[in-house]
Amino acid sequence: MEKTINVAFIGNPNCGKTTLFNAYTGAKLKVANWPGVTVEKKEGAFEYHDHPFKLVDLPGIYSLTSYTMEEKLSRSYILEDEVDVIVDVVDASSLERNLYLALQLIELGKPVVLALNMMDIVEERGMEIDIHRLPEMLGIPTIPVSARKKMGLDILMHAVAHHKDKSPSSFEHHHDEKKRSGHPHNHHKECVVVYSDEIEDKIDRISERLQAHYKELTNVRWLAIKLLEQDAEIRQKYTLDLTDLIDRSYETDIINQKYDFIEEVISECLVNKDEKAEATDKVDAVLTHNIWGLPIFFGIMALVFFLTFNVGDALKGIFEVGLDWFSTSVYNGLQLLGAGDVLISLIVEGIIAGVGGILTFLPNIFILFLALAFLEDSGYMSRVAYVMDGLMSKLGLSGRAFIPMLLGFGCSVPAIMASRALEDPKDRLKTILITPFMSCSARLPIYVLFSEMFFPQHAMLVAYSMYLIGVVVAVLVALALKFIGKKKQVHTLLIELPEYKAPNARTIFIYVWEKVKDYLAKAGTTIFVASIIIWVILNFGPTGMVEDMSLSFGAILGKMAVPLLSPAGLGYWQVVVALIAGIAAKEIVVSSMTVLYGIANISSQVGMSTMVGALGAVGFTALNAYSLMVFSLLYIPCAATIATIRKETNSWKWTGVAIALQLIIAWGVATLVYQIGSLII
Amino acid sequence: MTLLEGVRGKCYSVQDIELEEQLKRRLQMLGLTQGTQIEVLNCKKGGSVIFKVRGTRFAIGKTTAKGILIGGEKDGKDN
Repeated sequence: MEKTINVAFIGNPNCGKTTLFNAYTGAKLKVANWPGVTVEKKEGAFEYHDHPFKLVDLPGIYSLTSYTMEEKLSRSYILEDEVDVIVDVVDASSLERNLYLALQLIELGKPVVLALNMMDIVEERGMEIDIHRLPEMLGIPTIPVSARKKMGLDILMHAVAHHKDKSPSSFEHHHDEKKRSGHPHNHHKECVVVYSDEIEDKIDRISERLQAHYKELTNVRWLAIKLLEQDAEIRQKYTLDLTDLIDRSYETDIINQKYDFIEEVISECLVNKDEKAEATDKVDAVLTHNIWGLPIFFGIMALVFFLTFNVGDALKGIFEVGLDWFSTSVYNGLQLLGAGDVLISLIVEGIIAGVGGILTFLPNIFILFLALAFLEDSGYMSRVAYVMDGLMSKLGLSGRAFIPMLLGFGCSVPAIMASRALEDPKDRLKTILITPFMSCSARLPIYVLFSEMFFPQHAMLVAYSMYLIGVVVAVLVALALKFIGKKKQVHTLLIELPEYKAPNARTIFIYVWEKVKDYLAKAGTTIFVASIIIWVILNFGPTGMVEDMSLSFGAILGKMAVPLLSPAGLGYWQVVVALIAGIAAKEIVVSSMTVLYGIANISSQVGMSTMVGALGAVGFTALNAYSLMVFSLLYIPCAATIATIRKETNSWKWTGVAIALQLIIAWGVATLVYQIGSLII
Repeated sequence: MTLLEGVRGKCYSVQDIELEEQLKRRLQMLGLTQGTQIEVLNCKKGGSVIFKVRGTRFAIGKTTAKGILIGGEKDGKDN
């Protein structure tokens, strides 16, 4: 077996990098976090012509500076020895801007291969790229590919394998004679980008000093350029006194001159560059319309929830029938085998009821994530930031903060991570505090179940109202924070609006599959364990195994918190136990209820009427159910969310604030609902 | 004039950026260098602006738009 070739995939956001990465690795990728930070690290391995390859997908970035966490991370990773070849994925239909990162990568001095993605779109648009001249000017192999149509994939890996030992070299420039000056060192033969004489002079002198001072430097020129840009990280590492040479930051000059070179490349390599994407402008005229943009967005969201509840419910029926059959067969099978009553109870009323009950909600969750994937992959998500910017600025946030909130409908954990895209730390903190109020998919089973049980005529309306309450609470909290913060409004919306495209089936499949897998894994681990624990604490008490659950450990524990939750109409020890257990994961509120009442198939008609009867017997009415839903919506989303908040804010204080905020608001709103409701009814 | 005063459908050239250093660099790296042509695609009362630079569309907020100085109005490619 030959040595594994380590390939780093890098590129601008929206360049199709992930689609290309997925085309190689399929769904077999490994998702983990970069050490110390919560940026996702995607890895995949595959073989091509007996060569083992390891691919790492780096976060989408526009440049290799050290301004953002993503940029720092990508830069330090590709500077490591481990990376053999850098594949710079470039959106060929927007070559001009994408080349900026490419030039920075080339300057690093490591082997780079340029993957010209979206060549199919370029052709459709009647543009042409001179793919012979481009590598000549850049000095690196340039491979046209189409990740969506899976074209050029083999050739790209072929180039990677052959290029792994070569640094950028052998390129030809035909610079203007005017620009070719009498500089003592003519760098046009060694470097792709040649700066003005003033800067080249400084680069040469800084390089000399660096080499004299630090032995064995491999990329002196790059370091010299970074020092001229006064890059914070590099300055810290190389503390040579260069004040006589670096009197100011030359970053603007360097950026400008890189773009001057890019303009040269574009004018030589791109034909028909004025051909524009009419389709996107036409769609944008409607979707980002100053008046219609907002109603259209709300309409789209209404449709998403309609599909989630209605189509999801229809599919759920199939799951219920399956679960019923499974539960009965297991019960009969165990009796046939002569298993003891305790074991049968544990398996049927504990595990199958707890885990199975959660699995029946899979269709709802599947559809919700499918819709979110669709919005993201089509390019609409970033338009939402623009459309919502006006409203969000009234809350003292940029429109971009709405994207994490929207993702919060799916799952709070990635949503909180997505707040990282906000540059201002205060905006980020604010977004992190309000995002958990957006009702995530784990809370969905609670609404679906309780609204169908207690509000059979208006189930969907009741479920909708939960989402609305969540949004209203988030808005009020944001307003309160704005008021407390008294911060002068800093408005930093800055977001790329990619071209619209038909969502890619494979990308969507992988996105949704990842989420469904997470959900299944949660059902198989956290919920499985929690179901067993709950079954144990409900079936055992100080006197050993109990017939009457009200004598169990769970009941004793629950009864202690009853007085606290009575004002909210939740003063039942069973409910208290379910809510406490729900901190592990919100779905557990439902599974604990099923274990509590020993209902094997909670979503079925029989299961529901049994539960309504049991709850009704203790005076738990529709109003109590509504209050329970409100409380579930607003209190601590789950342990994983808390851990994510801790990681993202890097502060126990703010994590504590978040928890306290969630508990107080949940209790307050639920109490309000119950007390006012009691007066009316 | 600033980008905030830009008219939809018109092209301008970037003259200067008067914003805090870090944001200014970011915009420059995205291709908003001096003399670059940009086209205003949409703008609304709230102040957010959609513009196109070097073939890419961006949406920016009010304060940022206010800090981008432009001049040399021309008709956009649409007209």
